[in-house]
Amino acid sequence: MDMNEETSQSRKLKCDDTSKCFQLLESILDGEMDNSKEVLKEKLAKCQPCFEHFHLEQAIRDVLKTKCTKQEVPTELADCIRQKIQDIK
Amino acid sequence: MSEVQRRKYSQEEKNNIFDGEFMPHIDSMYNFGYRLTFDEDDAKDLVQDTYLKAYRFINSFEQGTNAKAWLFRILKNSFINEYRKKSKQPAKVDYQEVETYYNSDDVDYQSTTDLRAESVKGMLGDEISNALNSLAVDFRTVIILCDLEGFTYEEMAKILDIPIGTVRSRLHRARNLLKDKLRGYAHHMGYDTDEEEEI
Repeated sequence: MDMNEETSQSRKLKCDDTSKCFQLLESILDGEMDNSKEVLKEKLAKCQPCFEHFHLEQAIRDVLKTKCTKQEVPTELADCIRQKIQDIK
Repeated sequence: MSEVQRRKYSQEEKNNIFDGEFMPHIDSMYNFGYRLTFDEDDAKDLVQDTYLKAYRFINSFEQGTNAKAWLFRILKNSFINEYRKKSKQPAKVDYQEVETYYNSDDVDYQSTTDLRAESVKGMLGDEISNALNSLAVDFRTVIILCDLEGFTYEEMAKILDIPIGTVRSRLHRARNLLKDKLRGYAHHMGYDTDEEEEI
């Protein structure tokens, strides 16, 4: 947070096209953009809303991955499936 | 994913594909089934049904292609065709209204100004999970496929039978909806949401 404050002075405070920019940033985070490093570097250096949106989206992806724990698979499920496959073979 | 090329696998080949390429995805399949239905028995039925279909139609699976995406597509279709029909839950939300609202620039702008990355990082697993589970199924699905399962937009387009552009915009809307839920938790829990900071 402190780092944001220190560097935010060089960034514009209003994004010209949040809808377009944010979707672009999300595509980059999703690994869907080639040569994304330069685009990202420039966007984050110049635009405060883009900078904040990027870090927020990154945080959300991280918590989804780490905190949305997988449901434990019932132990009998795989055996049950194999048995049913045997029956139709 | 191709269903055009028909082939005939031997029994041994079928077994190898089933054990080597299909069964390793059972954890992800069950997780997807559970997050669609919120019910352990329904999730089990969905996964079992999917694997039986996968075996029955194994000749339309091209060995070496993306088995996980192929299985997810079957599960998703089973869910839509069978589970949703018999389920008592309300069929649909008004997507027109939701999509119009959540695709507006105001929402994009708001989502950044009053929810901080730090607040999200401090949230509990249950809060994140409940926020995800509270989304309408079409929005929930794209987030599960992308963020929990790591599918590419192209794979998601094939799983969901929608164009890539729709995948991208639906994901964007889904994420705005998710942020809205997370913002609600942040307010409720008294996390710093920077609400007063109007630029």
